[in-house]
Amino acid sequence: MKKGLSRRNLFKYMGVGGATAVVAGCEKKPEKLIPMLVPPTDYEYTPQTAYQYMTTCRECDAACGMMVTTREHRAQKAEGNPNHPVNQGALCARGQASLQTLYNPNRHAHPLADGKQIPWEEGMQQFSAIIQAASGAIAYLGKPASGSEGDFVDEWLQAAGGGQRFKFNLLTQKSQAEANKIAFDHADVPEYAFEKAGVVFNFSTDFLENWGNPVENARRFTDMHVYKNGRKNKFIHISPQVSLTGAKADRWIVINPGTEGLVALAIASVIQKENGAYKFLKKYLQAYSPEKVAEATGVSAEILSELAIDAMEHGPLLALGGGNVSATDQSVETLVAVNILNAVSGALNKTILFSDQTAPESSTHQDLTQLISDLNAGKIKLLIVDDSNPVYALPPSMGFLQAMKKAFVVSLASQKSETTHAANLVLPALTAYESWGDAFPRNGVRSIQQPVMSTVNMFDARAREDILLSVAQSVNKKAFSGNSSYLDYLQNIWQKIQRKVGDRRNFDSFWISVLENGGIFEKPKFIRASLNRRVASVKLNDPGMAGSDGLTLLPTTSLLLGDGSGANKPWLQEVPDPMSQIVWDSWMEINPDTAQKLGINDRAIVEVSTPYGSVQATAYYHFGIHRNAIAIPMGQGHQHSGDVADGFGINVMELLPDQMDKAGSLVFVGAKAKLKLINEKSYTVNTDGNARQLGRDISAATTVEELNHPEKHSAGHNRPVEFYPDRSETAGYYKPYRWGMTIDLDRCNGCSACVVACYAENNLPVVGKIRTAIGREMSWIRLERYIEGYGDDFETRFSPMLCQHCGNAGCETVCPVYATYHNPEGLNAMVYNRCVGTRYCSNNCAYKVRRFNWFNYEFPAPLDQQLNSTITTREVGVMEKCTFCVQRIQGAKSDAKNLGRDLEDGEVVTACQQTCPTKAITFGNLMDPESKVAKNALRDNTEKRDRQYEVLAELNYKPAITYLKKVNTREVVGHDSDRHGSQDPEQTHS
Amino acid sequence: MGITAEYNTTAGRVVIDENEGHPGIKATTLSYGQINDEMLAMLDKPRPSYYLLLLGFLMALGLGVLSFAIQVDVGIGYSGISHPIAWGFYITNFVFWIGIGHAGTLISAVFYLTRAPWRTAIYRSAEAMTVFAVFTAGLFPLVHIGRPWLAFWLIPYPNERMLWVNFKSPLLWDVFAVTTYMSVSIMFFLLGLIPDLAILRDEAARKGKKLKALLYAPMALAWRGTNHQWVHYMRGYLIFAALATPLVFSVHSIVSWDFAMSSVPGWHTTIFAPYFVAGAIFSGLSMVLTVLIPIRAVFGLQDYITNHVIQSVSKMIIFTSIIVGYAYAAEFFIGYYSGSPFERAIFYYRPFGEMQSWTLLGENQINFPQIAFWLMVFCNVIAPIPLWRWKIRNNPLAVWIITILINIGMWFERFNIIGSSLQHEYDPASWGEYWPTIVEVGVTIGSFGFFFTLFTLFAKSLPPMAIMELKEGTNPPMKHAAKKDINE
Repeated sequence: MKKGLSRRNLFKYMGVGGATAVVAGCEKKPEKLIPMLVPPTDYEYTPQTAYQYMTTCRECDAACGMMVTTREHRAQKAEGNPNHPVNQGALCARGQASLQTLYNPNRHAHPLADGKQIPWEEGMQQFSAIIQAASGAIAYLGKPASGSEGDFVDEWLQAAGGGQRFKFNLLTQKSQAEANKIAFDHADVPEYAFEKAGVVFNFSTDFLENWGNPVENARRFTDMHVYKNGRKNKFIHISPQVSLTGAKADRWIVINPGTEGLVALAIASVIQKENGAYKFLKKYLQAYSPEKVAEATGVSAEILSELAIDAMEHGPLLALGGGNVSATDQSVETLVAVNILNAVSGALNKTILFSDQTAPESSTHQDLTQLISDLNAGKIKLLIVDDSNPVYALPPSMGFLQAMKKAFVVSLASQKSETTHAANLVLPALTAYESWGDAFPRNGVRSIQQPVMSTVNMFDARAREDILLSVAQSVNKKAFSGNSSYLDYLQNIWQKIQRKVGDRRNFDSFWISVLENGGIFEKPKFIRASLNRRVASVKLNDPGMAGSDGLTLLPTTSLLLGDGSGANKPWLQEVPDPMSQIVWDSWMEINPDTAQKLGINDRAIVEVSTPYGSVQATAYYHFGIHRNAIAIPMGQGHQHSGDVADGFGINVMELLPDQMDKAGSLVFVGAKAKLKLINEKSYTVNTDGNARQLGRDISAATTVEELNHPEKHSAGHNRPVEFYPDRSETAGYYKPYRWGMTIDLDRCNGCSACVVACYAENNLPVVGKIRTAIGREMSWIRLERYIEGYGDDFETRFSPMLCQHCGNAGCETVCPVYATYHNPEGLNAMVYNRCVGTRYCSNNCAYKVRRFNWFNYEFPAPLDQQLNSTITTREVGVMEKCTFCVQRIQGAKSDAKNLGRDLEDGEVVTACQQTCPTKAITFGNLMDPESKVAKNALRDNTEKRDRQYEVLAELNYKPAITYLKKVNTREVVGHDSDRHGSQDPEQTHS
Repeated sequence: MGITAEYNTTAGRVVIDENEGHPGIKATTLSYGQINDEMLAMLDKPRPSYYLLLLGFLMALGLGVLSFAIQVDVGIGYSGISHPIAWGFYITNFVFWIGIGHAGTLISAVFYLTRAPWRTAIYRSAEAMTVFAVFTAGLFPLVHIGRPWLAFWLIPYPNERMLWVNFKSPLLWDVFAVTTYMSVSIMFFLLGLIPDLAILRDEAARKGKKLKALLYAPMALAWRGTNHQWVHYMRGYLIFAALATPLVFSVHSIVSWDFAMSSVPGWHTTIFAPYFVAGAIFSGLSMVLTVLIPIRAVFGLQDYITNHVIQSVSKMIIFTSIIVGYAYAAEFFIGYYSGSPFERAIFYYRPFGEMQSWTLLGENQINFPQIAFWLMVFCNVIAPIPLWRWKIRNNPLAVWIITILINIGMWFERFNIIGSSLQHEYDPASWGEYWPTIVEVGVTIGSFGFFFTLFTLFAKSLPPMAIMELKEGTNPPMKHAAKKDINE
């Protein structure tokens, strides 16, 4: 016998040691992974396998259901929960980017006391000491928290000796609830049944961007607005500004800023005169007849009557009001006027549905004024702030920052922000991905939020509620008895919910089914609402904001950045704003007519000053804005939110007054701005090479008229006939699959969720502003925005442009090394390892969808943990492009193979298709005539035939993506002369 | 043969002096020994100014190497090439240098076959230029591609992974065309050198310079100058000339197909092959004069490179300038006549820039392609016009200035084709702009450094003029025949 370790024993020890190392490693530290060669069968996960967990997106108050895909214990992709009634499987761009809340390198990693790192114990001691010292003079400022968290905080405040909870949401719908209380006796935001409406009047809301739940709005709106059965319902945008929402409108009625209410009443007065409804309003509405308000609104009486006729003929009407652009000091009155219009036209209880329970009251911005004065008076000793960021979001004229310094501020935030920067004590909180919670965004919808992975190990953070709970228990022994963690508290609440919904199982199996399902979803119950007579006493005045004493400032919301909380996410900064195509920046929309009068060029730097402050912004020419107004989006101009957010753009809130409307909400519109030219050129980066398509029909549109009379026009776009046989006739190709896609431009509204989903799914690097300036952005989907027409009568078109997977591709033949080739399933495959980087393929791609790795891009830790582990990242010198999510195709194929069958339609879902709220994208097998995509793409589909087209079909690249034309209800003036723009340039020039 | 054309101011016309002999060289009266001495004197120990010049070229080369190193280290993104302009300065330089490389073979092979006697004095240098220009051009694909360390994948070689190249790709045709041209030019160059190398070998041996003799001996391939050797040599030279002639036309045709075979508006046109060949000859001949006129002045070679030679090359330049000018015009006409909005747009964009109606309400912007376009038109079509005048043609300084302008113009012609088309392709949303960065400028300067370093070294190590052909041009050393015309 030899001394020491025998060979056999060595292996034994190695085996045991290795296994324990792996198990221990995977529990806490998901960044260091050593997969076993043969994993044990009772192991809790299989490497390389995706696990889905249902949870709730907490990026905004809409609280969509979310399904998170994790691999190797890391959340890698967020998708909508398909069971969730609100978003039904879709997510918006911000929801997709919520992964970067989790993996944000700028998260707080340690507790901080006055900016210095301290251990957790010390932080907790400080926290409990200050609670005891405050003895009830506590204020908790947090997000409105529709779920159990609100009750928890209220209970916690009691346990901590008293205090008040303030719910802060910059983009609140409080005024709407107030107006509904006046008009319908329901202080609530109703459900808008878009799909039941025949015509939608939108009074300045941004319902596809930030108003209500944009994902749900987009889906239901598209159901109503999309072309089907030979007709299309109208959507009319009545606003001083065209936002992304307005871009989808069939008609834009330019009104003077702040006169939405007058227009609504004028329309209502015409309708009331016709149908005689609500007699008590007759006299009231006469005062607002079209003739009387025409001057104040800037809309002629004829157009107003025309709108009324539209509403009556094509009803039921759905009139929407709210949002920033109409948030004047009369915003409650404006919303009441919209309610009157809805009621008079008979929309109430048809398209506007009030739930039988009202949502809990939320605080107003007025309450924050109270908080500020309390802070200034020293009445509050301890201020606790969660992830909300009032220091950034409130107008500086309110003086929140100065007031905040009077108290001891404890921040329980996960992300760095201006507020945490000014806090005395920062106790890092977990994100929604790592902690328990729930949200009840509306009646009947109870959505659960569960941790889908352990804490990202770079961050020494704890769940906010657990911090509060343990600190409460340390100051008050009786607090939260029986709850060792927030999960216990949550489960107690859900036990009550279980009883409420009448579920008789034991709690454990109920709990598991809730987690599997993502929550409990019941059909909402609606009650009939009626118009209260008191509306007749609501007076609306002409705000007179169209005068020549300066330009009315309209602070608009940002689709991608929201109220600013999205600014620290690289994806949201990198993805161009669909309207302006500007990245990493903010801008000032100005009408070209106004700008030229003032001598301001496009992209000039202008100083915008109001009585409350001044900023320097980049002028951006936009036809879609009133000639006496400017619009600046919110969300940029951070100073202490981490290096992704800081220093980009401007914060429009700096220009706003400290003024509230009758509901106590902030007045956004009211300040008049003066402009001063500072510099001719700004360093603003936009990704569109040209805003016009010069009649090239890349993003094509047709009209209802044209579709109903195909004989008058050239019918359809046939694919070119060719001498050579198609690849489908070649042995080895397209059997049984030829992957293809259709994109319905009538459904696409440019929301850019697909773009962010692609970044998340395909490991696309973020390159930053400077590199985007010279075209180095890596996005596989280019959401193209084209503008047709001029002046007030212009049209905005969106079309997602991605690799067309051509059957006769230009890129394939020119590659000298076969790095790109046509695979047997019709994919234009890209072999990264074979690519030497001649970039000839990019030159010869007519669609310009190939992106080149100009550098070795880095994914700064811990963003690298988000990378999709089923595909690679790419090194410098390699071309890449859309793969039709080949990893998903392969995964689905191997699953089908295990079952011994071919793939069925709908089993492969690409990331962009999956997240599209309007279902504009269809993907599948073109060789299967029964598949959805084939039905959309093949020319024998009589319903769709006249709308089908391939982009640049004349080049005979035979793209696998068929677009369906956008359908307009009318021809845009100026469109026709522009169509020949490139052919006869001199004519259009004049 | 045996005529010298001189402009006689009193007669007011060109007077042919039949006694002056050979039109290429004015040296028919020189003896073989004189020619030997004068030619070998050029290879004497260089003056300090030579080293200074060489140092300058080496510094330029160093700048290029440094720029390339930075680019490899940081990533190809350090250059200004971008999306959608994936080809920029590097491909421009590649086409430019390949074009420069055309004059040598044209002069040495085509004019040999067509018996143009004025080629004698310049063909050796032109051939050396060809070889070096093709070397320079050959570097650019390496500089250009994303992963230069894998450039060998472009060559079809048997490998265990059974990977093969794509024979449908014009880039691959390019690989074949350029490597073929390079090998044939090198061989042709070396073949022409054999008798002269023998002279060098013998001279070195005579002067006792053993090292030099050792160097030249293997290159001279045991040349003895026997009648037998001469018969075979002349036959071989003729065959090589015949082989090289089609390459003059094929190489640049294939290079042009890199563009013409693609679908890019402004590239996809059948005129490209003849247009590129004419352009290549145009630029190549200009470069020959750009290089040789200073050499003639420095070494005092007026007796060899006569004004007549310069005039003859100038006439070729005028001819090719007309072809190139015609091609420019034809491109615009076809762009208009095709009716294709994409073609029309690009041919509007090249001279005039963005059309106002294209953008939202922006102003016409003059961009790099517009600068390139107007420089191209000026240098290639307008600048050669004075060469129609005999007086200008006869003035080496004027010709030299014009050829320099043509070199600039031809560089910008290539840039105009490559750069402008890619900026405005089919999808207006993906239009872009291109401005080179410091690395591209550095590498471009470096390529001139590389070329001129090689040429400077050549000028002092190998006879820059074909000694044996010069001798052919003189009256043979026969008794009582010193004045007799060689062809009689």
